Order: sequence, then structure tokens, then C-alpha cells
Amino acid sequence: MRTRKLLTVLALIPALAWTLFPLLWILTASFKTELSLYAKPPQWIFSPILENYRRVLFNIPFFEYLTNSLLIATGTTLGSLVLGTLAAYGFSRTRFWGSEALRFLILVTRMVPRMTLVVPYYLMMLKIGMLDTYSGLIIAYVSFAMPFSIWLLIGFFDDVPLEVEEAALVDGCTPVGTLVRVVIPIAAPGLAVAAIFAFLVSWNEFLFALILSGVHSKTLPVVIAGLTTDLGPLYGEMSAAAVMVMLPNVLMTLVLQRYVVKGLTLGAVKG
Amino acid sequence: MGSVQSRRWFLVPGVIFLLVIDMVPLVYSLWVSFYQWWLVRPRDIRFLGLGNYLSLAADPAFRRSILVTCTLTFGAVLAEFLAGLALALLFAQPFRFLRPLRAVIMMPLFVVPVVGATMWRLILHPEMGVLNYYLGLIGLGNPQWLADPTMAMCALILVDAWRTIPFMFLVMLAGLETLPAELFEAARVDGASWLQAFRFITLPLLTYIMLVAVLIRGMDVFREFDIVFVLTGGGPGTATETMQMLNYRVFGLGHMGQANAIGVVTLILVALMCYLLIRVVQRSR
Repeated sequence: MRTRKLLTVLALIPALAWTLFPLLWILTASFKTELSLYAKPPQWIFSPILENYRRVLFNIPFFEYLTNSLLIATGTTLGSLVLGTLAAYGFSRTRFWGSEALRFLILVTRMVPRMTLVVPYYLMMLKIGMLDTYSGLIIAYVSFAMPFSIWLLIGFFDDVPLEVEEAALVDGCTPVGTLVRVVIPIAAPGLAVAAIFAFLVSWNEFLFALILSGVHSKTLPVVIAGLTTDLGPLYGEMSAAAVMVMLPNVLMTLVLQRYVVKGLTLGAVKG
Repeated sequence: MGSVQSRRWFLVPGVIFLLVIDMVPLVYSLWVSFYQWWLVRPRDIRFLGLGNYLSLAADPAFRRSILVTCTLTFGAVLAEFLAGLALALLFAQPFRFLRPLRAVIMMPLFVVPVVGATMWRLILHPEMGVLNYYLGLIGLGNPQWLADPTMAMCALILVDAWRTIPFMFLVMLAGLETLPAELFEAARVDGASWLQAFRFITLPLLTYIMLVAVLIRGMDVFREFDIVFVLTGGGPGTATETMQMLNYRVFGLGHMGQANAIGVVTLILVALMCYLLIRVVQRSR
């Protein structure tokens, strides 16, 4: 057992190095001066500066793009929560002809290539004048986030005992009132997870933002991808921008790790 | 009003929204793909029938893009599968110090794809990047990651693997943890080696989950756009131009009929893979 433990630790070192090395490198690079960025051998210990962050925050309208990203992500979260909660509750409480097939169809919409969708979506938005608007992006992102929200929430609603609802109905609560006052408070953790995932769907999305957004609605991933055109002199700034956009995601990993497994293996392990 | 069955009306808004937002663009896309449709010439839209599809079939760029996409998909899924399986076997061992490390291994999965690719672009930079310095130390020279056609493909596989090995890892770990411990206990009592237990117990019992994970990832890499766009943009030349990148380029030219035709073909190919996945899931039931 001791040798096995030792071997495990030895095998862990390359695995952790592979995972963490790029993240640590970019983190250190974001605090480096131009001079120490070019240094050979690479410096891991140096006196950190905040110049790169200052330049990203104030030389490009970073806060404007951050606002775009945050507002679009918030809209996506709200939209997919409202529609997803209603749909999941409906699926959880009723069986009807074709309801299984419908659940399945919702999952399959996740498989449609985004590029196949974005070209006609662009033409449609062009026609109705919704290019470069928040709502154009939010509508698309809600449809990306919903399949997962629905499947996740069905599981949480299934765990809410029917008797609780019947008691509320007998006391004169309307169906909507029962959902809002009785069922949702019990399933609140599920809603929180669905909300965070919806937020991340929007926060991470690139292709639709690249094609549909313009000066009024550019999101952070598009800005970051745009910085790569002129690599050399922007090395420090790009690292700083990457760290800032990455931060919320990495923090959420820690909160969510229990549910990630559930989400990723949805369908795969359950069969 | 009181009956629980009346709850079915709750799902109407969400389901209608989803079907409209997904189906309307797809039908529209199919329709546009039958026309000659340049964005800059809105008055000169002509019906071509299957013309766009026929010119795709004859287009060497399109044929090459299929090959590039398949190479990338095969390479990335193979690398992720092997690494993910190895990691899952490592973490399935009963050591307590492994638990908190799972969250660390999972991190890359959460990095914004574009940001992850940008980060790797900085690391792979031949002069300022850090990777080539360390490769030089162990005598692996100074590969021109993004300038050489073969190395550019390797870079794409590398970066995609970095981001999604955790997916394979998590799915297979979840599978490993459902395997009954008694089987391994019995095998050990009967004197089976670790390798034999792996070959005759773990592999057969995990086949289903492995197949599902590989198919899901296969569909994902097939549709990959963000990483390719940021790292190589399809270059050098068109060496890493996947079907998605080609679709983006044709869209950029304003050739809407052709762009939609590529989209429809991609959708059909992904749908075939999806069908395969469904069959696998159904057969196992």
C-alpha cells in the first residue's frame, strides 16, 4: 500500500503540472514588466507590477465591455430561469402522449452546430434590425442555456413531495402561487445551480457575440480575441485581461464542483 | 384547476420558445442554401436548387476542410480519452488526499474557451512563450507551433485536450465509482493481477460510458470554433481550416447561399453522430 501511495503521488505531479502550469504562467505574466517578460530563463520570482492591469482597465474601454457582458449574462440568467422553471415544473408534474419524446427533443437541440444556427440567425436579425443589440444575443443565449436548466430542474422538482403542493391547493393557493410560494423555495438550490450555469453560458460564448455584436454590445470574449492580432507589445495586457475574465469562472468551479459532475454526466451515466 | 395534470400548460412557453429559436433558423437556413445569395447584392437573389451543394462537392477547399475536421476530431478525442481514463484510474484509488485535488483537475473546464486559447497562444509564442524554452532545455528544439502546418494541428489538439481532459476524467470517474467493489475483491482473491482486473472487469463494464463520452466529445470537437479561431484562424494558409472555419470565411465573404449549405452539411454529419449516440444508449437499456 505504501508503494502504491508513492506511485500515486509521483503520477499526480505531471497531472497537476499540466493543469496548473498554463494558469500560473499567465497569472505571473500579468504582473510582469516588459523586460522580465522577455527574460530567459523565464522568471517565476520577480517584483510584481500592476501596470498591465491599469492599462487594460483604462486604455481600452474595459468597463464598457464588462457592462455589456454582465448585462447580457444577467438577462440570459433571468430568461432561462423563468422559462426553464415553468417548463421543468410542467415536465416534472405531468405525463402525456409524447412528453418523453419532447424532453428528449429538448436535449437534442443542444447538438445543433452553433455555426449552422448563427448564419441564418444573422440574416434574420439583420432583417428585423436587431443586430448589435443586447436582446438579440440574450434570446440566442437563453435557448442555449435552457436545455440544461430544464433537465437539471426536472430532477430537483421531482424531489418535491406532491402532498406539500396538494395541501397548498386545498388552502386555496392558485397553481402559480403554489409554484412560487411552495415548490420554488424547496427547490432553491437547484435554481441557484441553473442560474450559475446560465450565467456562464452567456459569459463564455464567443461565436454569436463575434458575429452579432458591434460597438454597442461587444462582450469580453470578443475583445480578448481581438487583442491577439498584435501580439508582441500586448503580451502583458493580454495576460491581465485573461486573468480578469477567467476569475469568476475559476471561483465558480469551487462552488459548483459537486453539481458539475451531475451536469456533465447527465444522460451519460444515468443512461 | 386543482388537478395536477393542468400543470402541463406550464411547459408551453418554454417549449415553444425553444422550438421557435432553434427550428426557424434551421428551416430558413435550408431555404437560403438553395439560392444564390450575396449579401452585397440583395436584389440579385436567384434560385439554384442544389447548385450550392454541387459546387461544394467540387470544391477542393471544402473537401480539405472535412479532412482537417476529421483529423482534429480524431486526434483530440483520442488524446483526451487516454489521458482522461488514466486520470480517472488514478483518482479512483482510495486515498483521502485525492478528493480536494479533483477540483484542481477540473479547473480548465471552466476557463472561458477564448481566454484559454489566448493563454496558450501566449505560451506557444516562439520567442516570448515559455514552453519552447523548457522544450529547448530537454533538447526538443524550437518548434514553430503556429507557423508550421503539422505543428499547428498539434497545437490545436494540445489546447483542446488541456481544456476538456477534465470532462473525460469526470465522466469516467463517475463510471468507475459505480463498479461493484466485490468484483475486484473476488478477482484479487483468485490471484488476478491489476492488469487482468482492468482488462477483464473494468474495461467491459466501462465500455458503455466510454462510448458515450467519446461520441459526445466527438460531436463537440467536430463543431469546435473558438479555439481554432483564436489559435490559428485556420492557418497557416488553410492548413487547419475546419468546416466551421471555412463556413465562417464564406460567411465573411457574404456568400450566404454557400455558407448556409456548409452549415446544413455540418448539421447532417453531426446528426448522424447524434443518431449513433442514441442507438448506443438505447441498446444498453
